[in-house]
Amino acid sequence: MTGYIEGRNVSLTFRPPNRAPVRALGGFDIEVEEGEFLSIVGPSGCGKSTFLNVVLGLTKPDSGEVLMHGKPIGGPGSDRAMVFQEFGLLPWRTVQHNIELGLELKKVPVEKRRATAERLVVLVGLAGFERHYPHELSGGMKQRVGLARALATDPDVLLMDEPFAALDAQTRDLMQAELLRIWREARKTVLFVTHQIDEAIYLSDRVMVMSKRPGRAKKIFAIDLPRPREYEMRVTPEFNDLKLEIWNTLKDEIVA
Amino acid sequence: MADAATIRRTFVVRYRNVLLGGLAVVLFFAAWQAIFLFVPLNPLFMSKPSLIAAGLVDLIDSGDLFHDLAVSAVPFFIGLVAAVIVGVPLGIVMGWRPRVGYALDPLMTVFYASPLVALAPLLVIFFGVGVSGKAIIVFALSVFPFIFNAHAGVRAVDRLLINVVRSLGGGEWDLYRKVIFPSVLPYIVAGARIAVGRALIAVLVGEFFAASEGIGYAISRFGDLFAIDRMFACILVVMAIAVVLTEGIRWAERAAFPWRVGQ
Repeated sequence: MTGYIEGRNVSLTFRPPNRAPVRALGGFDIEVEEGEFLSIVGPSGCGKSTFLNVVLGLTKPDSGEVLMHGKPIGGPGSDRAMVFQEFGLLPWRTVQHNIELGLELKKVPVEKRRATAERLVVLVGLAGFERHYPHELSGGMKQRVGLARALATDPDVLLMDEPFAALDAQTRDLMQAELLRIWREARKTVLFVTHQIDEAIYLSDRVMVMSKRPGRAKKIFAIDLPRPREYEMRVTPEFNDLKLEIWNTLKDEIVA
Repeated sequence: MADAATIRRTFVVRYRNVLLGGLAVVLFFAAWQAIFLFVPLNPLFMSKPSLIAAGLVDLIDSGDLFHDLAVSAVPFFIGLVAAVIVGVPLGIVMGWRPRVGYALDPLMTVFYASPLVALAPLLVIFFGVGVSGKAIIVFALSVFPFIFNAHAGVRAVDRLLINVVRSLGGGEWDLYRKVIFPSVLPYIVAGARIAVGRALIAVLVGEFFAASEGIGYAISRFGDLFAIDRMFACILVVMAIAVVLTEGIRWAERAAFPWRVGQ
């Protein structure tokens, strides 16, 4: 069986000038099914964000290949969109115009852009904030805009690079529940990178643990917990068993 | 219902900063006026606000003031516009193409740091006493703030935003339009605030050296004639123009770039 997104033996070394080269990925394999929510957890610097950038098309691997629908990824495309950890909102644009950015770059007519933005503002729970600037928003609200912007071009795959890491713990819990709600409605394939095992289990169909640098796939866990998932699920024995199991796999890779 | 005392109190609280600043200005002129009561200053060399005001009214009545200002405005604006047209693209290229930046940075720093007004007599010899000589002095003094601020602005562009636009399918031209130019614009306007002050100096110095009209010429001629009231009147007008221009730009910055207020 072939996956919807497939990484085969992906290797990548960064060669920063005047510094030692860094092997970020060393023979990384992955298969992502269509419509699934897959999280990648791994120690800091294991190359998990690097892999997202390869899928996004901003970074090219040195060897190996990443396929989508069986075709190699050659560059950015509107079938993929990223939600960035630090939001990446244009500070001189209102919420509405930030959401429209991708459509604007695709030369979508103004009325259609506006209609899409209006629908997404409601979906991500920001109705009434269309004309606000990013500096007037809280961190959670900024990431709602980041999510809406990624959804605006209607991609098949949503790439999320530690999207909630810059938020405080309570906002993060709230945003995770929001993401599940939005995912239920929008039905995208999600590739989600995080440091948090809790977060990965709560959200995902499968959780991949990566090795330390140079990153490889170490083990994949199927999360057979029923959906829709509620916050209470996080205190069930099944949840905690998984958490412990994933932690035991991950901890050997962490170099403190 | 609020009584008169409360209204007065809230008025004072709300405008406290403005009131304090205005009070200091009033006190300054009052002290200047008062000093003549106690110190026998020679009116040939020093004037006082009441006489300056009379001189100013005189200059306005005769139309001389506006004529001189209009004459000076021409090289001022030509030089400034040329400085924007040359300085902004040069600064952006220096920032976006690091090699150009490294090559030109030392030279530009030398020019920016050195008192280029020293070249004014030479430029007057080269280009004569007309508009062109003065416009070139204005350009020479005011181009560097645009270069350096555009340069700094490009270097401060958030790389993440570049990646965002690329990831959404944006090309090189989109990067300029959607990210680089909007990021650099506030820096350019901040540079304009500095450039305007330097351009005013340039006009005055140019006209001190060689001119037959203009506000700088008026200042130097009234000085030569010991018409100290009128000289001070012209100087105060130039000061007022400088304040209006720089504060006007500051206000425009706040109005045009609301996202920077929070930073």
